Amino acid sequence: MQVLTVTQFVTYVNDTFKAIWDPTLVALEGEVSEFRVSQGQWVNFNVKDADALVSVFMVLGKLNLPLADGMRVRLYGFPRIYPKYGKFSFSADRVELVGEGALQKALAMLRAKLEAEGLFDPSRKRTLVRFPQRIALVASRESAAYGDFIRIVEERWRGIEIDLYHAVVQGEKAPDSVVGCIERAQKNGPYDAIVITRGGGSLEELMAFNDERVVRAVYASKFPVLAAIGHERDITLVEEAADVRGSTPTDAARRLVPDRRDVLYEIATLEQGIGESLLQKIEAGREIIERATDGAERWLETFRQRVASLLRLVSSFNPDAILKRGFAIVRDSQGNILSTIAKLKPGMQVAINLRDGEAGAMIEGNQGRLI
Amino acid sequence: MAKKKLDIDFAKSFKELEDIASWFEEGEPDLDEGMKRYERASELAKGLKAKLDEAENRIKEIKNS
Repeated sequence: MQVLTVTQFVTYVNDTFKAIWDPTLVALEGEVSEFRVSQGQWVNFNVKDADALVSVFMVLGKLNLPLADGMRVRLYGFPRIYPKYGKFSFSADRVELVGEGALQKALAMLRAKLEAEGLFDPSRKRTLVRFPQRIALVASRESAAYGDFIRIVEERWRGIEIDLYHAVVQGEKAPDSVVGCIERAQKNGPYDAIVITRGGGSLEELMAFNDERVVRAVYASKFPVLAAIGHERDITLVEEAADVRGSTPTDAARRLVPDRRDVLYEIATLEQGIGESLLQKIEAGREIIERATDGAERWLETFRQRVASLLRLVSSFNPDAILKRGFAIVRDSQGNILSTIAKLKPGMQVAINLRDGEAGAMIEGNQGRLI
Repeated sequence: MAKKKLDIDFAKSFKELEDIASWFEEGEPDLDEGMKRYERASELAKGLKAKLDEAENRIKEIKNS
């Protein structure tokens, strides 16, 4: 007979459970009841079926989806006795939702929570640049989604750099893998966009893209996120938190890059418009020159007329013209013009110039007595 | 050399081309400046077209280090 202390007994039982219970082979499934979180870190609830009930204990940090009473769950962990109180419970490390109903319900709860926090706020959504040069692609390299995305980008655009961050996009490891890719891309940036894409699947298969951690990583991204998960009708929380949503991987490629044929046409149109504008300018320039030439001619004509009248004026000062009008010029014997009577003396010889010649003359008398 | 030519910032060049087009639309009467901008526009358009015709997309996997 072996006698065990209480502590030894609890240890023995717990060791036995550990030895016989392999969580990779066995899971516990049931319906959640009396779900509660205590002190912001411990999760307690019951799982039950029609005939039995087991209490479940969990660390809040390990609970990566919202739970509520009535949900059907699958639990991975160990049965154990809590030494201090002797309470038997199932200590869960991981919870999976079972059935579309539970998933839908969990999704609705998480959506409401994140929406209230503003993670889907349309006002904070950034637009994508028109001509991205460098992008990060978070996808599974083996997936059809990856193939489709790359094919459409290749069809449409040239000269883009794509950094592929290979991610596990389904199953237990997917959330961590996708979060890791987004975080690494933050460090390796800058990127014009981070594209996250995955092909269609059941709600369960797409669940990584409804995972709270993944949604928060998308929300926190420094670079705009373009997400296209599943088909048109599936809208995951990642897509709601993303800046831009593509309905499919193909659609994501179309939203990311323009069609080069359209852009080539646009370049040609711009170039042609510029050429035409320049021609118009040249035409306008020619008109200005022509207008200026017309003006010069008009000015020249006026100038010519002004010069002609000036010439007439100048010619009126010509002494010949004066003589023609009947005046005479009187000079002394040295040829000096005698313009005043004071210079005339009786008996003085003078020369008189008239229109058609010169004659000699002698002064006979003084002023007043002449003639 | 061909590679060098393709090493343009597509977005920046495209924007510059658009800006030249709007300058012409605004109808500045400076013909000398117009000639200069027209030449620049032709050069830009040529570079952009070359990039769209000849450049390749580069895809590389970033391994988890």
